[in-house]
Amino acid sequence: MAKMSLRDRFWNRFTGKDTDMTPVGCTTTYGVIALMKKCGHERPAADTDPVAMTELALAGPSYAGFEWVKAMGWDITALSDAMGCTLGTPKIDLQYFIKAHPYAESIDGLEFPKDFLQRGRFPAYKEHFRLLKEKVGDTMIIFGESEGAFTCAANLVGTEQFMKWCMKEPQKVEKVLEVTKEAAVAAANFAFDNGADYYVFAEPTSGPALLSPRIYKKFVLPVEKEIFKRVKGPVVLHICANTDPIIELMCETGAAGISIEEKADMKRAVEIAHQSGVKVFGNVSTAVTIFQGKPDAVYEESRQALNNGTDFLCPGCGIAPNSPLENLLQLKKARDDHFNA
Amino acid sequence: MGNSEIRERLLKELNEGVVEYDEERVKKAALEVLDKGLNVYDAVMNGLAAGMEKVGELYDQQEYFVPELLMCADALYAGLDILKPHIRLEDLGDKPKGQVVIGTVQGDVHDIGKNIIKMMFEVAGFTVHDLGRDVPLEKFVEEQLRTDAEIVALSAMMTTTMMGMKKVVEMIKERNPNVAIMLGGAPVTRDTADLFGADGYAESAGNAVQEAIKMIGRLREMQNR
Repeated sequence: MAKMSLRDRFWNRFTGKDTDMTPVGCTTTYGVIALMKKCGHERPAADTDPVAMTELALAGPSYAGFEWVKAMGWDITALSDAMGCTLGTPKIDLQYFIKAHPYAESIDGLEFPKDFLQRGRFPAYKEHFRLLKEKVGDTMIIFGESEGAFTCAANLVGTEQFMKWCMKEPQKVEKVLEVTKEAAVAAANFAFDNGADYYVFAEPTSGPALLSPRIYKKFVLPVEKEIFKRVKGPVVLHICANTDPIIELMCETGAAGISIEEKADMKRAVEIAHQSGVKVFGNVSTAVTIFQGKPDAVYEESRQALNNGTDFLCPGCGIAPNSPLENLLQLKKARDDHFNA
Repeated sequence: MGNSEIRERLLKELNEGVVEYDEERVKKAALEVLDKGLNVYDAVMNGLAAGMEKVGELYDQQEYFVPELLMCADALYAGLDILKPHIRLEDLGDKPKGQVVIGTVQGDVHDIGKNIIKMMFEVAGFTVHDLGRDVPLEKFVEEQLRTDAEIVALSAMMTTTMMGMKKVVEMIKERNPNVAIMLGGAPVTRDTADLFGADGYAESAGNAVQEAIKMIGRLREMQNR
């Protein structure tokens, strides 16, 4: 098959049509210091400044060989930020993180704010999308990303408390999710309105590292189903850790794709996902191989992910800021070799 | 009903109350232990701690997850709050009573795993000095020196904050090479722990719980000798 444009390669694969080869890139965050140095735009400016954010986004394709581009910055706190969570101060090698939970004491008064999209970093994202779209045009796929409704809910009231509520106060869980569901829909539709082709919801708090599949099915699945139905474009659901016990449930959400870590079984995930037309992204280890491993190890793991049938060759999670650029480049090298490109 | 039968019944109540995260059942049994004048340390170790041992197994078998573990912890603490003030020094005898300094490293606010490990250490009879989360690195060194704790347990959930652990290991080992340092958290592997010069490693919450359970097991063995 003739060599395809990056955009067609991604979109054909995403929509189940033929492609010349598996797309390679990153569907999670890539706020990597080596990329910052290359493009001359560092965090924390790149967390809030639309120009710096855009340039760092473009550094993925320019310097790491990624074939699509990420919008909306380098952390997964945008919804929680706009909903009132206090964030910790980011540094060049430290993402924004949740510092305090505004509804830890009481959820009275918790509601979806009408000015949600004027809050937090959304105004900066709007300008960032404009700049990114201007530069990318129709050459590459753009995706937006934030935390999902469940992770946001846990951020608002405190994860430990939220976990306990899942066991003994389900009505409180539902009440918070009612609000964060609206935030999730608004954020994704904002991204689609501003030029995103697909949207990633990262739901680290909903994974089997914390929750049982039973609780996932009870609280997370119905909310995600509704959100994914209401948003204007396709969604990819990213969940960290070993997601083997919930691959089926992740595929039931209505997501067009799922993104998994190396702890999950790629081969099995692909088999399950393809039964319902869901695509799988992953799953080269970020914490171990890309961050601390030798380039050869990253290359080998990438080949393995391809052999196991990944639809999109990606890191399994957000890339650690101190990861070497040489390791990032191994993904494309492995893909090119795999397809004799 | 004889004393041994009462003991058996109450140990079962404490044990099952913890496993089934039934705070009220645990409180009731703990009060009855005091009321009947039974050995409090025995009730803690062979009732509450044995219950947590079972909880650890259920967690390992993926029957229980973090929400269940947190609920069991509440039940455990409900019992400990009642019983602990009544443990007599002579009950403890020569049994090992280690000290642990524990915390989540600077820049990291994830503390559920750390709290679970803390609980297991407490159950195992350790004195725990919990520094909380987002702990400045030097604080671990200061607290270890202040308390002369044998173990320092560090937790990190992010690759960025994980690097802080390396510094803490270096700083502590420089001052006091005999301290055992244990690392845990999602991005940490055994290789990382070795690379950072740590002595122990917990692959996951489950694994760390198992590690702590081994300690409980050893302690109970010694107690029952």
